[in-house]
Amino acid sequence: MLSGQAQDHASHSRPTVNQNSHSSHSSHSMVVEADGAVMNQNFSQLPRGCSQISGDHTFTVSAGRSYAKTEPGMIFGMSQYEFAVNPCSRVTITFVNEDDVRHQWMVHGLPKYLYPAGMFHIEASGGRTKTGTFIAPSENRSYLVHCDLAQHMEKGMRGQLKVGTGSGDIWGVSGISDSFYRADYLPDYTLELVIALFLGSFGVTLLLKNTAWK
Amino acid sequence: MTRLRLFAAAVVVAMICWPPQWYPLSVRLKLTQWFGAASYRALPPSTETDLEPAQPFCPPDPEAWRQQHIIEKVDISASAACVADNPFAVAAFVRGTNNISQETLLRSGLSADAITKGRDLDGDGDPDEIHIRLEVAELNGGSGVVPGPVTRYELAPGIRPGIWVFAPKLVGMSVENFESNIARPGLRLPSPVIRIEQGDRVHITLENSHYMPHTLHLHGADHAFVDASGEGNDGVPISSEIPILPGQARTYELTPRQAGTMFYHCHVQPHVHVMMGLQGLFVIEQNRPDNTLQTLNIGAGLVRVPSRASREHYDREYDLHYQDFDKQLGQRIQQDNDPRLITRSMHRDYDITDASMDYFTLNGRSFPYTFRESLLVGKEGEVIKLRVVNGGAKGIALHTHGHKFSITHRDGIALPESSRSFQDVAWLATSQRLDLALTLNNDGLHSYGPGIWPFHDHQYQGITNDGIGPGGNISAIVYDQYLDGGGWPATNGVSWQQYFSEAYYRKEIPVWESYAPGLFSDTGKDWLLLFRLLGLSVALAAVVALAVPGLLSGRSK
Repeated sequence: MLSGQAQDHASHSRPTVNQNSHSSHSSHSMVVEADGAVMNQNFSQLPRGCSQISGDHTFTVSAGRSYAKTEPGMIFGMSQYEFAVNPCSRVTITFVNEDDVRHQWMVHGLPKYLYPAGMFHIEASGGRTKTGTFIAPSENRSYLVHCDLAQHMEKGMRGQLKVGTGSGDIWGVSGISDSFYRADYLPDYTLELVIALFLGSFGVTLLLKNTAWK
Repeated sequence: MTRLRLFAAAVVVAMICWPPQWYPLSVRLKLTQWFGAASYRALPPSTETDLEPAQPFCPPDPEAWRQQHIIEKVDISASAACVADNPFAVAAFVRGTNNISQETLLRSGLSADAITKGRDLDGDGDPDEIHIRLEVAELNGGSGVVPGPVTRYELAPGIRPGIWVFAPKLVGMSVENFESNIARPGLRLPSPVIRIEQGDRVHITLENSHYMPHTLHLHGADHAFVDASGEGNDGVPISSEIPILPGQARTYELTPRQAGTMFYHCHVQPHVHVMMGLQGLFVIEQNRPDNTLQTLNIGAGLVRVPSRASREHYDREYDLHYQDFDKQLGQRIQQDNDPRLITRSMHRDYDITDASMDYFTLNGRSFPYTFRESLLVGKEGEVIKLRVVNGGAKGIALHTHGHKFSITHRDGIALPESSRSFQDVAWLATSQRLDLALTLNNDGLHSYGPGIWPFHDHQYQGITNDGIGPGGNISAIVYDQYLDGGGWPATNGVSWQQYFSEAYYRKEIPVWESYAPGLFSDTGKDWLLLFRLLGLSVALAAVVALAVPGLLSGRSK
């Protein structure tokens, strides 16, 4: 059952079932297996503005706690956080989960006419590898890549897919862009130090002024 | 001389501006003798209260989850209250996620190995090898990139404290959709009820998907101190094992010899982790033939596929999980995103010995949301089994209106018939369990007849949301003729509208405004008095300035 890519590569020919979740989702094409799930896989349907598939990109991405060890304050990580691809290219992600819990490699904001809810999503069970393929849109744009288990994005699993030249970095990508909200990390007594410095400077100014008068 | 005149004028102005009610009583009485009472001045008028549009009391049920279903040959009873569990998940919990179709699995939202069921070891027609996989999820957590809280879950309108839960192993996103950030169905408070059969060979794998260390401790359930391989099996960090770090998993084992209503919880820094919500009911049913159980009951409440033993004596069974929450603990996961800062804040800065509890939940919700999903619905003549746990830091005094119940089991153990009596208040200490028999016989003792009969903690903080009532763990026993087709009770009293608004629980709505408008409203302001005080402050300033020699006679002199 240790998945193997042969099984994953075959999975696109399996029959898919519409998932009718309760919360008025549009239906997603997804197959759930012991090693995980791939949602909205796309090998051949072209996005608008693409006359043909411009080429292939393949990435092998590893995920797990060990990849966060070099990032202070992060718990979960990935072996890379930026995925640069050409517009209209076919992107194959082999997602290697080295932890014992689920992880996901999920893109948001894709065209909804091709990817229900705008998502492409690979989920690998603990210790498993899962492969999925999608086709990048034609525009230059940056897309959020993340793991949507609660708090996994916040605690490190946040990357970006740059199609073409992209549209600037998105916030909070590990190793690439800063967090939007960031704690102060100031040493103790900083406030006292600032107040003391302010009052001291004020006093010195007065002293100098009075001296100058005399 | 000018200065003296000015001084006198300022004193006179100050005396006039001085609010009459601030003068000493003797002065006021003397003035009254001379001039009579002051002329009439109406009190400020009542202010208008803006009631914000209420949320729907009873959300729609587009996929008919409330109805009776037969899925994967599992007969899933109807769930009368307005919000019901996903019946596909219920079917998966009964059959096992390894024994159902891909379609049922997809519609359950569960992972393929969430609950696997194996061989029938005793040959009595039900599987005895049960493997349960749980994850740990954070609800209403903070975020470094979007304004929080994320993976949102409301106890009551607008109330979203930070919470941790054990969760069934799901597949896909943790939210309904990326924009809403609302936790998906199945990911909620309380941690799911686990239901196994006496003698089952049970494995529970805790996949720690959270960013802190956790363990699983089976409180009151018969389990060996070490598992088959000699590893710690009790979940206690010092005596048993090193806690499960983020991204790791550990499997706990038990083959319980004793049935009963038990409890499970994380045992890492329990004064913080259990109080954050890492606790659930753990039910061991008596062994019976052909007794395939609903292994998890998400959100507790009605057991839609009850056990054989339960059906021998009871018409329905409900799981009731009471909890309390300190908002000052829950907000700590929202204030920082760095786990080092959160860990310090929760485990070193927070001091539970100085804590007071603010939110009180029944099955993961507080009033008025309890009325959506935690009603005890029954028919006249029925006998209902309640399995109750108090997971809160404070004891609860559980009181039923209109009924006297009897306690059949305490901490999972049956009480002798001779010691059973009828009562309408039962005390549950922290982590205590009671099994109650509620008989809907209209005989003036068991029941006073059909109706909508509240039941709640009779300690008064427990019926509030952070001090605003009604709130907390109030729910009701509702006879089916009092329930409308959508599952909402046909109440006779005050409109529900204001309770389904966030403003009410932000303390912005006068409590009786809906049925006595204006009578007990917020008051307008006394602007005249304000102007007098402003005049007084100017006059007093003038008095002081004129009284202190040299203050006004600087260089101009």
